[in-house]
Amino acid sequence: MATSRSTSESGWIAGAFIFSGRPDPTWPISSDVAEELVAIWESLVPSDDTASTMPALGYRGCFVRDPAGRTWTAFHELVTLSIDSDSETRRDGDRLFERTVLASAPAGTLPASLVA
Amino acid sequence: MALRITIDIFSGRPNPVLVLEGPEEKEALDRLRPEAELRGREVRPLPASTLGYRGLIVELSGRATRGLPKEFRVANGDVLAGDFAARPADPSFEEFVCGSTGPIRRISREPALSDFILKEIKRLDDLRDHWKPRRPDWPRREHCRCAPLYEPDWWNVPAIQPHNNCYNYGCDYRTDTFAQPGRAAGAMYTALTCASVRPAAVADDLINSPNANNRCPREGHLVALVIAPGLDYHWFRKGRNGYWSHKPGPTAVTNLDNSGVTIPDPRTADRGPYTQFCTFMVVMHGHVKID
Repeated sequence: MATSRSTSESGWIAGAFIFSGRPDPTWPISSDVAEELVAIWESLVPSDDTASTMPALGYRGCFVRDPAGRTWTAFHELVTLSIDSDSETRRDGDRLFERTVLASAPAGTLPASLVA
Repeated sequence: MALRITIDIFSGRPNPVLVLEGPEEKEALDRLRPEAELRGREVRPLPASTLGYRGLIVELSGRATRGLPKEFRVANGDVLAGDFAARPADPSFEEFVCGSTGPIRRISREPALSDFILKEIKRLDDLRDHWKPRRPDWPRREHCRCAPLYEPDWWNVPAIQPHNNCYNYGCDYRTDTFAQPGRAAGAMYTALTCASVRPAAVADDLINSPNANNRCPREGHLVALVIAPGLDYHWFRKGRNGYWSHKPGPTAVTNLDNSGVTIPDPRTADRGPYTQFCTFMVVMHGHVKID
């Protein structure tokens, strides 16, 4: 699934699946971070693996959504890009995509243990 | 590109597999194109481990296409994959595949196989009309006669699941607003501590019952408040069979804890980051107001 590198426009949103009672946190990301994430995505290798079982409570992954509605979700070394009902999964053994998303959260948004 | 179809029907024998390519694949994809999304009770439950026909498992090589997931099941005219449920352009797709003139003729020398599968498709259709999920490890004996039933299928649908959280589920009260303790009463919590969330819930007319000790109340049902200090709160509710269930945020209702085991007592359950047990409370049906 090809992706455009035209990330200069604003409107990219990131977030984490983590809370139960409170709404999950979301935050805007800069064009620089968006461009970095797209570059990471394009460096990843396609994978047929399915996501491992997520815990019921606590951190369950993170996501990034661009203004066109493309959504990347990342959890446990897999990143999935969804466009409408199409999707493609790639392996991110170093969790670089996921760590970059989490690191982009404003201070205090996420538990320190998650972004360390 | 190729379309791989496994006829999920046998127990001892390997299931028959068809691979469609070229014009045959294109025709199949045209027939499978989702025409209408199925919602709520339109999605009939599908027995996961019944003996006999259990549907066609369809796998698309390459990436997903035409609004279809990469892998899905077709059962009685429904296209199903996780939360995805749709009616395809041809609800008789299974008959097309398994009928005596369909692609199945290429792989089977048994003339009776087609007839058998067609009868099985009908049997599964009838079964799904009456089938209710059973969970053998889930005690059915009633311990708490006033407590709500464990009905995950009612909550775990796209119209309800993402808009209701643990507080909605704990109170058995659908608001579609991701309800927050105290918000309806204008007394929402101000910190993610037991000392702040507990009175907020009391303002919504939940009854604080710190000494409930996991015993069912005579009226209403028991809930439990736990805290991930400084991060979040979470609620469990005690069901009619005496076991607990919960809804972690926008995710699906479950009766399992973080270790994947049932929950006889939330105080001893694996609660992940919700390490602080705050209190038991009682929800009196019709008394609470949450938003």
